[in-house]
Amino acid sequence: MTTGKPLILVVDDETHILHVVSLKLTNAGYDVVTAEDGEEGLELATTHQPDLIITDLQMPLMTGLEMCEKLKDREPTADTPVIMLTARGASISQQQLGRTSIASVIGKPFSPREILLRVQELLNQPQTVEQADD
Amino acid sequence: MTLGRNTAAALRRYLAPQVSPLSSSTSSVFITVIAGLSAAVLLGQLYRWGWPPWPDAAVFIGLVCAGTAAIAWWMQQRILMRHETHVRRLITRVSTLADGQAAAPLPLLDRDLRALAAAVEQAFAQQATRHEQLVRQHRELQMQLRLADAQRQHAQCTLNAVHDAVLVTDVFNQLTLANDAALQALDLPPDLEPNQPIDQVIDDRRLVDLIKETRETGDTAMRRCVEHRRGEGPDARIFDVSLACVASDECGPQEPDAVVTILRDVTREKEVAELKSDFVSSVSHELRTPLSSIKAYVEMLMDGEARDEQTQCEFYNIIQGEANRLGRLIDNILNISQIESGLVKVHRRHVSLAGLISEVIDVMQPQATAKQVTLRFDSPGAYVQVFADKDMIYQAVLNLVGNAIKYCSPGDEVTVAIEANKAAKTAEISVTDTGVGIGAADLPRIFDKFYRVDDHKKMAKGTGLGLSLVKQIIETVHHGKIEVDSRVGLGSTFTCVLPMAEDE
Repeated sequence: MTTGKPLILVVDDETHILHVVSLKLTNAGYDVVTAEDGEEGLELATTHQPDLIITDLQMPLMTGLEMCEKLKDREPTADTPVIMLTARGASISQQQLGRTSIASVIGKPFSPREILLRVQELLNQPQTVEQADD
Repeated sequence: MTLGRNTAAALRRYLAPQVSPLSSSTSSVFITVIAGLSAAVLLGQLYRWGWPPWPDAAVFIGLVCAGTAAIAWWMQQRILMRHETHVRRLITRVSTLADGQAAAPLPLLDRDLRALAAAVEQAFAQQATRHEQLVRQHRELQMQLRLADAQRQHAQCTLNAVHDAVLVTDVFNQLTLANDAALQALDLPPDLEPNQPIDQVIDDRRLVDLIKETRETGDTAMRRCVEHRRGEGPDARIFDVSLACVASDECGPQEPDAVVTILRDVTREKEVAELKSDFVSSVSHELRTPLSSIKAYVEMLMDGEARDEQTQCEFYNIIQGEANRLGRLIDNILNISQIESGLVKVHRRHVSLAGLISEVIDVMQPQATAKQVTLRFDSPGAYVQVFADKDMIYQAVLNLVGNAIKYCSPGDEVTVAIEANKAAKTAEISVTDTGVGIGAADLPRIFDKFYRVDDHKKMAKGTGLGLSLVKQIIETVHHGKIEVDSRVGLGSTFTCVLPMAEDE
């Protein structure tokens, strides 16, 4: 946290999504670092220790859920709140959520406004687990 | 005709005493003696009356007595021999009847023998009739037996031709019938002995329980249908099992005497259903992704997040690109569905391949540039025409070029070329790239619907439909051929061979 601004890690295999979310958050005054897959996300989460992580669910090789479970197991990232983006029709089960630090699930197509709102909520207030019906 | 022969032997034994030569019958001796004595008495009386003088009389009497006795004897013998002949005739007749030749002429017989003969004839006639009846019945039964056997074989053949497995078990849960499909489905030996308990023969616990339960219900009105899985892992097969109690007429509806079990292999159906379901999920995800981008960027523009003109331009381009991508995806899906279901209308006309490929290159150039991949057309001047559906060929080439770019890294090249093979009267379109290439293990499957090479999934998104559509278009609709040559790390070349348009 070199700049004093909260750092957000965005993980998504779709370049456009990364771009749009990064821009929105940067414009809103946050620092953003991006990763294109679960492996990279884990690495950056460990090295940069962001204040918040936004990740896609459906990614090849390691899904967002798997990444979150791994994050939960590691010391520096165990409590970092996560916003999950997903295009899947079905929501993630409570049981699956319990094994992670996912604080919010947002469906795709998503609204950048909504992401910003959620980010602001989570960084200014204690974590609550909620599901967004979009 | 053992009966006849027995009768003949019996009769012979009965009549034999009457046929012995030179009758030892006491009556004939008695008669002869009486005749001699009577002659002697008569002549004695004559002598008393003074007729022939003694001693000539003695000789005379002696001669006459002897003569009378001799005549009496001879007459006896004649009668006896005649009787003997008739008896022999009767015996012969009996033997003839015994041999079955009733048509032979009837012998002349004495009155006393005639009754016996008549009785014998009648007895034999009755036997013959009875015999004929029995023979006829025997033949009829044999025919019925043959018919029943043929019907049974026909039924067995019919059952064996049925694709589903059919099992019939009786009230004791013994297996009375299993068709070929059943033997195969349950891994039973082909020379299985019938009427064995199903516990011992079928190694499938659940199936055996199902059959037993069904028999216990004894309900002939209801048919049970359950799903049943056999085996594990990739060799597992899923069956729709239908069980019903049946009763033959003799037992009456209250007492079913068999359970008919039918197993229909629905493994393939389930696989297809699963594939379809996966496809729908996949498609849904693929469609939402460009849509997400469009919505997100539009919202960004609306919120003024694009703070300068350059960014705004970038956003507009992205939105357009994603909209196009969405359109292409929808087209692909629709096309492939239509072609597969045979509903597509093919509009063939003369198409200049050079023009078509130039169009494709123009459309795909931005994508190539964005990835820093060089895209070029090797033979823009070649004059090659095919008689085909322009939109379809366009789509096929578009997919091939799109794939080539997708699996290239910055600095790679994609080259499209066309060639006419005058001898074979074919036109070839080839798309060559210097990208990641396809492994030998994956090559045979790349044209399968939904198939995606695992290593490629990381590199680029896709539904696994593109190549499948190309194959359908080139091969199914246009009767051409698509070939691929590829080396991992070096790149791939896809070649479409199409029949060339006839010169008019």
